[in-house]
Amino acid sequence: MISLDTTKCIGCCSCSNVCPSKNITREDLGDKRTIHYKKCSEFCDICVESCPSKALSLAAQGEDVEIAFDLVKCTVCGEPFATEKMLDRIRSSVPQNLRVDSAGQSWVEICPMCRRDLERERAARPVIKKRA
Amino acid sequence: MPVYVDVSRCIGCRSCEVACKRVHSGRSYMEVKVIDSKASVPVTCHHCEEATCTMACFSQALSKDGERTAFDIHKCTGCSLCALACPFGVVWTDKWAHKCDLCKGLESPMCVVTCPAQALSLDPDAASKRARTRAAAAVALAQGVKR
Repeated sequence: MISLDTTKCIGCCSCSNVCPSKNITREDLGDKRTIHYKKCSEFCDICVESCPSKALSLAAQGEDVEIAFDLVKCTVCGEPFATEKMLDRIRSSVPQNLRVDSAGQSWVEICPMCRRDLERERAARPVIKKRA
Repeated sequence: MPVYVDVSRCIGCRSCEVACKRVHSGRSYMEVKVIDSKASVPVTCHHCEEATCTMACFSQALSKDGERTAFDIHKCTGCSLCALACPFGVVWTDKWAHKCDLCKGLESPMCVVTCPAQALSLDPDAASKRARTRAAAAVALAQGVKR
């Protein structure tokens, strides 16, 4: 059985991805992410090993647990894309000078899809100028 | 040793996407889009020197292997932190991460080999070398030098 430390969980996709028994499920609905931990009686600790924030541990007793997160909206397109705690984790693992792009814009709050579009836009601009 | 893109040569044919899919079981780690109907740009992993995805990866699935940013699928848990840590949005995740591996095992990445417009290259100076060759040819032509 597993126990969840809700203060440590960052709401990423690890445990729900690796659980072989589908006892951990993740659902993104609008700007809410819910992770549901079904009472688990498997002799397995894959989720514990896979947790980046060490929020899971093996326990003698277990019960159904649910944890919900608000998803942060992309500052460009407005679509919800990650939990604030995940972004905090990026901010703590990537040094400040690398968290801004070539235009001096902070990219952490921008969703990956918009980051690709911005990158393309920047690369295309000089060529478009010549072809205009 | 990333794949260098000469945007002025890209014709937006998406051959690189297809070539990438062919090597990586139907999945492309390269994405081409046309901007304002005037230019097209493929984006893919830059294999950054200071790779922020490797800094965010807690399981060491992503690491620097020389100039390449290597990925070990067996260590990946699919947490998606790398996708959020990539400044260019070129790491995709579902059950695990997906990113350019520069076609490890092949002599040259398939996108570079395939690009019919020679917009992709492993040589950062490819674009300026071509420009110098064209300039030299123009001078030679003006001076009546036979090629």
